Amino acid sequence: MAERRGSFGDQPQHLLYESKAGGYTALRKALFDMKPVDLTNEVKTSGLRGRGGAGFATGVKWSFINRDAPGPKYVVVNADESEPGTAKDRYILENSPHMVVEGILIAAYAVGANQAWVYIRGEYDEPSRMLTEAIDEARAKGYIGPQPMGKDYPLDIRLYRGHGAYICGEETALLESLEGKRAQPRSRPPFPAVKGAWGRPTLLNNVETLATVPWIINNGGAAYAKLGTDKSPGTRLLTVSGNVRKPGVYEVEIGQTFRHVIMELAGGPPEGRKVKVFWPGGSSAPVLPESMLDVTTDAEALAAARSMAGSGGVIVMDDTHCVVRAAHRLLKFYAYESCGKCTPCRVGGDWAVRTYERILANQGSQVELDTLQRVSDGLQNGRCLCGLGDSAGWVIDSTLRHFREEYEDHALRHECNVGAVPANA
Amino acid sequence: MSALSSQVLEEIKELPAKYPQPRSAVMPALDLAQEELGHLTPEAMSEVAVALQLDPGYVEGVATFYSLFHLEPTGKHRFYVCTNLSCMLRGANEIVAHVKQSIGVTHAEQVSADGLFSYEEVECLGACEFAPMMRLDHKYHYDLTTERVDQLITERRAPTPLTPTLSPGGERERKPRAPRKKKADG
Ligand SMILES: Cc1cc2nc3c(=O)[nH]c(=O)nc-3n(C[C@H](O)[C@H](O)[C@H](O)COP(=O)(O)O)c2cc1C
Ligand code: FES
Repeated sequence: MAERRGSFGDQPQHLLYESKAGGYTALRKALFDMKPVDLTNEVKTSGLRGRGGAGFATGVKWSFINRDAPGPKYVVVNADESEPGTAKDRYILENSPHMVVEGILIAAYAVGANQAWVYIRGEYDEPSRMLTEAIDEARAKGYIGPQPMGKDYPLDIRLYRGHGAYICGEETALLESLEGKRAQPRSRPPFPAVKGAWGRPTLLNNVETLATVPWIINNGGAAYAKLGTDKSPGTRLLTVSGNVRKPGVYEVEIGQTFRHVIMELAGGPPEGRKVKVFWPGGSSAPVLPESMLDVTTDAEALAAARSMAGSGGVIVMDDTHCVVRAAHRLLKFYAYESCGKCTPCRVGGDWAVRTYERILANQGSQVELDTLQRVSDGLQNGRCLCGLGDSAGWVIDSTLRHFREEYEDHALRHECNVGAVPANA
Repeated sequence: MSALSSQVLEEIKELPAKYPQPRSAVMPALDLAQEELGHLTPEAMSEVAVALQLDPGYVEGVATFYSLFHLEPTGKHRFYVCTNLSCMLRGANEIVAHVKQSIGVTHAEQVSADGLFSYEEVECLGACEFAPMMRLDHKYHYDLTTERVDQLITERRAPTPLTPTLSPGGERERKPRAPRKKKADG
C-alpha cells in the first residue's frame, strides 16, 4: 500500500472505498443484468459530473457516442493529472486501482468500445505500476480479455505514458500526444465523441470520474444523486495542500464549506497564522480570500463566487506569504506550459511574467498594473483554443481583484508588507 | 557504428504494430533510446526516425516538446524538484538551493563534476500533500528537508549495490535486459 495522507477510504461510509479488488460486482451487473443504454442512463440519473476540471455531465457525455457506428471506438482515460495543487488521481491509482479498472470496463461496454487507453503522466511511476498490476490481476481473473466473465464482448485496457507536458491534460492535446504528435489542442468541432483517438469516436473521462462509476452501478444512480447538492451530486476528492497542518486528499460530500475542508479536515494554518487566500479548484480556479471561506464546494456556489470547482485542488496560502509572488510563480507555470499554438497564450504568458518581474524588482508603476489587467483580459473569454490561456488570465484577474492593495504596495510603493518572503520566488 | 544497439533498434521496429496507427510508437521508441543512452543525441533521434520510417525533423520536434526527454547529458541521478505553488509555500526554493549547492552546480543543464548528479526545477508532480517533494530515480521523495537531501546524496555517492544498476539520468535500469514482455503498457 502506498503512503497516504487524508481521509479517503478510512471510513466505510466513503463511497469510493466500497469497490475493491476481487469485487467487480458492478461489472458483472453491467455485463449481464443491464443493457448498455441502461448504464448510460444510470450514470445520467446519478448526476455525476466530470472530475477532470470542466465538470461536464458524465452520462450525457457517454450518450454522445453512437454505440452502433461501425468500426473501432475507444475509451481514453485522462490520468495526466498535472493541475497544480491536484493529487487525487495519483491517490486513487495508488490506493484503489481496481476501482478505476472496473469503471473503465463498464464505460467501455456502455459506449461500445472494446479497447481503452489510459494516458498516464510519465512521472507517475508508482501509480503506473499499481494500475498495471491491477490490470494484470483483472486479466488473470478473466475480467479483461476476449470474453470478460464469459461475456462475448472483448475488453482490453492498455497504458500510454506521457512525457511531461501540462497541456496533455487538455483532452484534444492528449489525443494528439497519444497519436505520437506534439501535444497541441485541436479545434472543435469535431468533438472527440465523433472523431477522437486515431480519428475514431472516443469517450474521454478523468480517473476519478470513472472510479465513481462502479458505486453508481452497484447502488443505483438515484442513490448517488441523493448525496451532495441537487446540481452537484455525490462526493469528490479534494486535495488540500499548502499552509495547512494536515495536508491530504479528503473525500467530502459536495456542498460542505471550504471552512470545513480547510479549517477542520486539514487542520487550518500553522499556529499563529491566518488563512489569507485559497485556490478552490486547482491553480486555474480564480482565488478566493479568507472572507469567503464559507463558500461551499459545489460548482454553482463557486461560480457565484466567480471561481470554479475545477480539479478539486485546494491550495491554501497563509498570511506570511505574498500574493504577488504566488501569482508570479503561477504565471511562470502557465507561460512555460503554453504549447505555443495560440498567440494570446504564447505571447501573453511571457508578457505577464516579465511584468511581474519588473514589479517584484521594484521597477513597477501604474503602467505595470494596467499591463497586467490588459494581458489578463486578452487571455480570457475564449480567445484561445483551450482553457490554458483563460486559467493564466484568471490568476492575474482574481488576485488583482481581491488583493489590489498588495499589488499597489509592490508596484507603486515598492514595498512588500507581508512577513515571510519565499527565497528567490 | 550506430548510436543505438541493434537490440534496441529491433525493439523499436516492433513498436508501431502495437498501436492503431504506427506514429504512436514515437514516444515509446524515444523512451527506449533514452533508456539506453541516458539522453537523446541527434544520431539516436535520426536512428529512431529511420526505424519508424518518420522524418528526423518530426522525431526531434516531438522530443523537444516534452520535458522528460533530455537532449543534453544529465547526471546519473537527476533531482526533479517540484517548485510549483504548494511546494513553494512549504520551502521548495530552499530545497533547490540546497541541492544545487550540495552537488556543486548552478543551473539545470550542468552535471556534477563526478557525473553523478544533475537537477531540474519542475512543475507540480501531483503529490502536493507531501510538499515539498521531488522525483529521483523513478521514485517520489516526500516531506523534504535539507537533511533528507543530504542523506539521498550520500546514499548515492557511496558505492552501494543500488547505484551501478541505474543508467545516466536515472532513467530506468541499464541493460542488459530481456525484451519487453507483452504487458498492459506493451
Ligand atoms: C489546460 C488544461 C489541462 C487539463 N488537465 C487535465 C488533467 O490533468 N486531468 C484531467 O482529467 N482533465 C484535465 N483537463 C480537462 C480535460 O480537458 C477534460 O475536460 C477531462 O479530462 C474530461 O474528463 P471528465 O469529463 O471525466 O472530467 C484539462 C483541461 C485543460 C484546458
Ligand atoms: S506543487 Fe509540488 S507536487 Fe504539487
